[in-house]
Amino acid sequence: MTIRNLWPAAALALAVLTPPTPAAFAQGFKPTRPVELVVHTGPGGGSDVLARAMVQMIEKEKLAPVRFVVVNRPGGNGTVAAAYLAEKKGETHSLGLFTGNWMTNPLVSAEAKVSLKDLTPIVRLVLEPAVIAVKADSPYKTMGDFIEAAKKNPGKLKQSGGSITSRDNVVRQLLQKSTGAQWAFISFPGGGERIAALLGGHVEMMVIEPQEAGEQIRAGNMRVLAQATEKRLPSLPNVPTLKEAGFDVPIVPQVRGVVAPPGIPAQNVAYWEDLFARLVKTPTWQKYLEDNQFEEGFQKSADLSKFFDTFSARMRTLLQEAGVKVYR
Amino acid sequence: MDVISGLWQGFAVALAPVNLMWCFVGVFLGTVVGILPGLGPAATIAMLLPLTYRMDPSGAIIMLAGIYYGAKYGGSTTAILLNVPGESASVVTCLDGYQMARKGRAGAALGIAAIASFVAGTAGVLGLMLIAPPIAKFALSFSSPEYFALMALGLALVSLLAGHSYLKALLAMLVGLWIASMGTDLFSSTSRFTFGQMQLLDGIEFVVVAIGIFAIGEVLATVESPGDAQTLPVPKGLRNLLPTVQDLKDCRFAFANGSIVGFLIGVLPGAGSTIASFISYGIEKAVSKHPEKFGTGVVEGVAAPEGANNAETGGALVPLLTLGIPGSGTTAILLAALVLWGFKPGPLLIADNPSLFWGLVASMYVGNVMLLVLNLPLVPLFAQILRLPPFVLMPGILGVCLVGVLSAGGGLFDAGLLVLFGVLGYAMRKLDYPTAPLVLGVVLGDSMERALRQSLMMSQGELSILVSRPISAVMLCLAAVILFLPVIKRFNRWRTQAIDTSGDA
Repeated sequence: MTIRNLWPAAALALAVLTPPTPAAFAQGFKPTRPVELVVHTGPGGGSDVLARAMVQMIEKEKLAPVRFVVVNRPGGNGTVAAAYLAEKKGETHSLGLFTGNWMTNPLVSAEAKVSLKDLTPIVRLVLEPAVIAVKADSPYKTMGDFIEAAKKNPGKLKQSGGSITSRDNVVRQLLQKSTGAQWAFISFPGGGERIAALLGGHVEMMVIEPQEAGEQIRAGNMRVLAQATEKRLPSLPNVPTLKEAGFDVPIVPQVRGVVAPPGIPAQNVAYWEDLFARLVKTPTWQKYLEDNQFEEGFQKSADLSKFFDTFSARMRTLLQEAGVKVYR
Repeated sequence: MDVISGLWQGFAVALAPVNLMWCFVGVFLGTVVGILPGLGPAATIAMLLPLTYRMDPSGAIIMLAGIYYGAKYGGSTTAILLNVPGESASVVTCLDGYQMARKGRAGAALGIAAIASFVAGTAGVLGLMLIAPPIAKFALSFSSPEYFALMALGLALVSLLAGHSYLKALLAMLVGLWIASMGTDLFSSTSRFTFGQMQLLDGIEFVVVAIGIFAIGEVLATVESPGDAQTLPVPKGLRNLLPTVQDLKDCRFAFANGSIVGFLIGVLPGAGSTIASFISYGIEKAVSKHPEKFGTGVVEGVAAPEGANNAETGGALVPLLTLGIPGSGTTAILLAALVLWGFKPGPLLIADNPSLFWGLVASMYVGNVMLLVLNLPLVPLFAQILRLPPFVLMPGILGVCLVGVLSAGGGLFDAGLLVLFGVLGYAMRKLDYPTAPLVLGVVLGDSMERALRQSLMMSQGELSILVSRPISAVMLCLAAVILFLPVIKRFNRWRTQAIDTSGDA
């Protein structure tokens, strides 16, 4: 049974337990006090920056009658923020901005008590594409060159990236599995250090977001071998996708979207779905996506719930294959 | 050539009245968040980011950068007066700064911190202006083995921090390294020493350890012996509250040391201002004529680390502006800000937007002057805090500590940890264990372990990678020499004594 099936029951329970607010019954849900938008990074992290930009846009486009306030609940790469939202069961003025980490971490961390499946899915907003890059003076001109070299010297070539559960490593696992090549994955905590390791020639390859790579390419420091995307990005019209380059591996996007605490009424879900559906249609949002080279990934609650299931299942298999201990 | 005309153009931007105002707003806010422990420049800049959306980008970056380097000025205030490090980069300042305050020289310590900040901060901007592109290339040649060697050097230098017993210092450092290993391991996603606590998944916030051990431990020790807890001496008269000419003379080398070490370490994307401050303190102690006095309140012990953490700002902007690579949390937010305003941070940023870069550089010269003018008059004022009787001051310190930890975002769990580390700090004082090595272990442990494991992953397990690369080989040799110097000295003394006694017999 999915969480969605529980909503009518939860709505009923709430209606019984709480004194009915006339407005809510008359014309559906409308926020009446500031809404908190919970993010799992400290100020300045990826989700925090996106959240603050969203708050700005919602205000500018007058999409909500109340203010949105960004609330930072850092810790455990999303674990703390998810638990915070789960504790607010039934709270109608809280939302959280999730990333794929919120799904991956509960799989690999015994301490995590809450996964995205325990929260109420609202909408999926963006997909962050990735490209595979090498230093500009690297001998590898194509993805095939790199894979061949890795096959000849198993374990010798190196890739810089984030943690072992990050998308960078997932792309590597998928490529290794489909080609039989082997190369090392070296974790760096900061994005800057990963790029520095590549530009300094200490590693041979990295998986990078196109927006980060864009200026390095323009300056002639980096070359993109392939795009880990379904179709070519407008900014890189001449670089093949992995599939076009002959590597038919599933694309695992970095995803961001909105969830709510468990047990909120269906009409609230409908309200938030509608608000974000209007947000993604605004020119401000479209320009933000373009500036950051994100892909539109809008999905409503029902589809998002299915997405959580497939994403979780795929990650579980991949992480087990990568030798990571999976707890659930 | 370019520099002159660029700077000319830059001052035209920076001295425009509206930008002067933004610069002042930035450095003022920076000083305030620097003084308040907990709330750091990164959080402040992130919270102000939405407000800058409609601002002119030159004014906006001048203001945000002002917060960044302004916070480094304020960080020393609570460290010196209350033994509460306002941010991680001021931990070393506590060692001698607080001892100076106990001797009635709080004003001199605060003054020298402001002057060192000004000198080194300006030197950092000079470095950013003159040698940014070549030094950025040099920074790229640093990788994990070099970082490991750098930390090993830092650890060796500061093993000199050891008090009377080498063994006790070593033990304290090992506990520090253990605390640093708590949390989720980056490489395997396994959690270590979390005791099933979700709040420990990210490890223990360094500031919590430092504030607990230094400040709370000190308060507990003071409360225990009320006889000693008299009001600290604060001399009367403005002249006695500022550094003397002799102080400035003593600090000549510390100013240069702080400027150079701070700038160079700042340029490295994997190091940061805390490491810079520790290393410059270690160097200062290593070359000093009276190393045994460090930790008892010598003025160089304040000037070197305070200088280093200010020069670091100029250094940290080098990879950000010349390569688009952020090296720290704060520069990562500045990068996000540049994107928000429609710039494309990367290797071509300066070439595409010269007025932004030069305006920023010029504003940093102006801002550093403003900070000096702003901070020096505050010195006598802040020094008066120590006139408060202990029954007001001690609860006040506890309050400042608690607010600091809570505003850093840890919540009640961290407040509990603060108590725990306070008790540990008190116990260490009673048992005569030095506290600085423990805190150093926490600072360096995580990044040192990471650098070592990255190196070994790069070399497929060959330890030789650490000594086969020239930069890391040199640094490791230096570290070894520093570590064994006391042993050799002791052996020598024992040998001469042995010869003497055998001669007598």
